[in-house]
Formats: sequence, C-alpha cells, structure tokens
Amino acid sequence: MTKLLPCLFWLAIGLVLAFIVLPIAVVLAASLSPASTVTFWPSEWTFKWYGALVTDKWISPFWLSVRVALAVAAISGVLGILAAYALVYQKIPGASAIMGAILSPLSVPQIVKGVAIVLFLSIVGLQNLLGTPALIAAHVVLALPFVTRMAATALANFDSSLDRAAQSLGATQRQRLQHIVLPMIKPGVLSGMTFAFIISFNNIPLSVFLVRPGDTTLPIAVINHLEYSLDPVMAAVNVTSMVFILMVIFLFERIGGFSAQLHGGSK
Amino acid sequence: MNTMDIELVSVSKSFGSVNVVRDLDLQIPRGQFVSLLGPSGCGKTTTLNMIAGFHAPSSGEIRVRGKSQRGVPPERRNLGLVFQNYALFPHMTVAENVGFGLRMRGTPREEIHRAVESSLRSVHLDGFGDRYPKALSGGQQQRVALARAIAPQPSVLLLDEPLSNLDLKLREAMRVELKELHRELGMTFVYVTHDQEEAMAMSDRIVVMWQGDIAQQGDPISIYRNPRTRFVADFIGRSNILSVGSHSAGSGGLDLSIAGTQIVLHSSGSDAAAPVRSCCIRPENISLHSGTSPDGCRQNRLDGTVRRFVQLGAHVELLVDVASAVALTVLVRSSPASLLPAIGSAVTLAIDPRDVQVLAD
Repeated sequence: MTKLLPCLFWLAIGLVLAFIVLPIAVVLAASLSPASTVTFWPSEWTFKWYGALVTDKWISPFWLSVRVALAVAAISGVLGILAAYALVYQKIPGASAIMGAILSPLSVPQIVKGVAIVLFLSIVGLQNLLGTPALIAAHVVLALPFVTRMAATALANFDSSLDRAAQSLGATQRQRLQHIVLPMIKPGVLSGMTFAFIISFNNIPLSVFLVRPGDTTLPIAVINHLEYSLDPVMAAVNVTSMVFILMVIFLFERIGGFSAQLHGGSK
Repeated sequence: MNTMDIELVSVSKSFGSVNVVRDLDLQIPRGQFVSLLGPSGCGKTTTLNMIAGFHAPSSGEIRVRGKSQRGVPPERRNLGLVFQNYALFPHMTVAENVGFGLRMRGTPREEIHRAVESSLRSVHLDGFGDRYPKALSGGQQQRVALARAIAPQPSVLLLDEPLSNLDLKLREAMRVELKELHRELGMTFVYVTHDQEEAMAMSDRIVVMWQGDIAQQGDPISIYRNPRTRFVADFIGRSNILSVGSHSAGSGGLDLSIAGTQIVLHSSGSDAAAPVRSCCIRPENISLHSGTSPDGCRQNRLDGTVRRFVQLGAHVELLVDVASAVALTVLVRSSPASLLPAIGSAVTLAIDPRDVQVLAD
C-alpha cells in the first residue's frame, strides 16, 4: 500500500512525458529521414531537409515572425509595466475596471477577434495596416494580459518602504522607477515578455486574418505548405522553431533569472 | 540666527474623521537627540512622517531650519530616514546602498566612494561594501541603513523605531552606538519609539506623546522624577499612583489625603493652587523598615503588611498593603532571605516628601 502512491506518481509522470516527448521524438526522427514521405524511425539519417529550409520560402516568414514577436515583447513589456505601475502602485481611480479591460481579450476567441479586427480596419479605411502593423497590434492585445498580470504581481510584492527610503535619499519619481522599482520587478516583467514573444511567435488564429498574401509569418507558412504536402520539410520546420523557442527562453532566463522567481526561490 | 532645526507650529493631522495629531507645537534645537515617545497610536509616527514629508499636515506649519516645508516633497527635504524594517535595496551591494543618495544627486564617483567609506566606518562596517544586504545579520543591516541615511549628510536624521526588530542584547548595544554616532556627527536626531528605556538611555530630550498631543517634554531625568500627569507617571518607569481626596498647604509643601483612607502624605510639591488629583511614588523611593521604626528622620511613615514577594535578582519587589484598598509596590536591593520580611509580616514604609510627586489628573 505504501508503495502504491509512488508507483502511481511515476506512472503519471511517465504518461505525461510520453504524450509530450514522444510526438516530438517522432517529428525529430521524421525530419532526419531521407524518404520524401513522413516515416517514423527511418533506416538512414540525413540533414537534407534542414538544408531545404534555407530558401526564401521559409527564411522570410521566419524573420517576419521574429520581428513581430520582438516588437510584441517590447511593446507589451513597456505597456504592461506602465499599466501595472498605474493600476497597482499608484492605484489610480477605476483601477480594477481598467485592469478588467486589459485582461478581457483572454475571454474572446481569437478567431472572433481576428475577424473583428479585419472588419474594423476595412470599415474605417485602414486596410493598408494589414500585415506587420496589424499583426503587431493584434498580438500586443493578446499578450498584454500576461505581461500586465506578471508585472502587477511583481509590483504587489514590492515593499513600498523601499520607495520611501529612496525618496528620503533624494531620488525623484523617475529615478525611483529606474533604480528601485524596475530592477525589483524585472524578473516578473521579463517572464511576461517571454510569454509575449512565444504567444506572438506561435500564433495562428489571429495571424491568419492579418497577414498579407506572400508575406506571412512562419506558422501561417506552415499551414499553407500543409495544404499541399505533408513531407519531412514540415518536420524540419517544426524542430527548428522548437529549438529557436527554447533558445529564446534560455536567453530571457539568463537576463532575468526568472526561473528562480517561478520556483519561489531567490537569487 | 535660528538655532531650531525643526519647528512644528500648531500642526494637526486627521485621516478622515480621526484626529491623529492635534495642534502640536514642537521645537527641536540643532544637534539634539530628541525622542518622540508614546504608546502605539499616539501620533508619533505620523508626526515623523509629516516632518519627512510623506504626509502633509491638515493644518499648521512645519519648518526645517526656519524654512517652511509646505509643498516641499520628501526628496527635496534633505532629511535622513531610518526604518524599522531597514528597507535596504536588496538588488544593490552595501556600498551601492550607502552611496545611493549621493549617486541620485550626481555627486562625482570619487567623492561618493569617500563618503561611503567614511559612513561605513562610522557604523563599524568597514570592509562590508561588496556584500549584499541578505548576507548580513539584522543588526548589520540596520547599521547599513544608518550609514545610508547619514552618507548624504542630511540636516536631520529621523529614526522610526529602528531597534524594534533586534533582540534585546543587540538593542542595548545599539543604544550605546547610536548615542556615540550622534555625538560624533553632531547631527540632530529625531527618534520615534514606544520603548521608554530606549528613550531614557539615548535622549537629550524626551517628548512624551499621548492621543496626538504632547503629554510632557523635558530631559529624561526630569520627566522620570517629575511626571506631571498620571499617564506620564504610568508610562515612564513604574510607579505607585494614589488618588488624592483633598489637599492642603503643610509645612514646606502639601499635605495630601489619600482617597478612601486615613493616610496623609506630605509632599514637597509646593503650589497649593494647582489642581492635585493624584500623586505618584516610584517603587525604588520607598524604603523598608521591618517591625518598629527606629528613627524619625523621614516625614512619611506608613504601616503595612507584606502581601507578595517577587525575587528579581538584583532587586526584590514587595507588594505591601497599607490600607484596605491601597497597596504599594516597593523595590529594595536584594539581600539574604533572612534579612527580608516574610509574607504576612508587618513593615513600616518610609517615603521622602521630595519623592511624592503630585499629579494634575
């Protein structure tokens, strides 16, 4: 009986790993197979499909996705900090209503939002914003709840006597924001920005309405490609973008050390 | 030339309908160590926050070195502040913490370095500059907070219960150090505390606050020896407070009839016209004669019975019934048990008239 619980525990972990890791292993194996159809566990290994990615068909969607995701992380980072500072720290009137508005995109299906944005832009005559500007704006709306929430949590834990101490030492409001408040909430904000980057980089339901034909983001390019063929190139694209995302997370973590915060530890 | 560092002129502060500070007049001379002493909720911390600029007075005026502080934000008041919870910046080293005030003012790097070194030396933390606050003990963190507050050479140092988070031994050691630091710097210190011993040990002047107003102020020993109200007598040190039924002028002082008893105490308090409602006698000012009294050199003499007996080490505390409803606490030096009265034994208490302090309420 005492052995049963640990057994169940490891069984659960094993199942979770199997569902998450095995498909990835399949994709990885498929991307290394020389056959032009997707096969699991090929008899020979090759990197030729990765070589096939170095064409404009894939490079240009990749760069568009990176540019958009970076812009989304930066913009939602700045907006999220400012919003959290005003709502949590300064407690401006109507703070909870404004916070509700910022969080509301979480409760609207992305497809609905995508259609709404396209309709809105064409009604007000701003169709030419479709493409990069509309993508960035829409992704920011989608990512902002996460960044604001994380910045707000970090600020709520911020000891306000630090702010008063800095003030008594002659620091102006701008100096206090720069030297005390921002460094203290940096880990929370950076992890929010990582989310923003990933949310934007992986997005399909919104992007599908907002990209211009011939100038798409990587996930949309994948969808377009899938309409015609299911080949190992697909697997290679997926593995590449997965590795890229892992690198981004690693990079943000190196800057902000947020895994310590996520795990409740301290530096 | 104005020698007052801080002046409060009929300052009041209310939060909503609660009057926290009422019509307070206070003058703090340059270079003094002044304690604002009182129980929690007496308005002492609010007063400090008004001096620091975190609260604006509801009415009245605060002046620092003669200049009105109305509308001057905390960051432009040049006052040092030390918090109970230290409030050190955790993402900065000790040296960066201490240099923060000067850095914000754009002081040249070498000058900051010199100021940091000398401030850390003042609090005996030379060589700790590269550590982070988390790596230090509570006492060390509070020293860093002190060094940080004095590094920009403020005109006044405000301390808000800075020793309350430390354990007793450390607190006692820090009292001595704070006093030495004050002497060394010659800066005005305004110290907020609820601990009367702390205030006694360090202050040049104590301002006892109660219910948003000053109950009494003066140097520590005069406040201890001559409390003017029941509250002060009770709050500062220990005392026997007796209600006075009536009083009349006696030889060289007042004769006080203690309410509900036949006891008449002679006090050297002189002004028969001033209101007298009660009197206070410190336990250590009552001396003890077992059995019959040997001499008549003391003017106040009370017969009583020992009810309780508490051994305190250096002292023994006795509770002596002197009338049906009146018991006095008596503090005497410890001596071998055979020389002390047993419980239930009759004793005579002697009290010098100068030690019977009349109280107005």
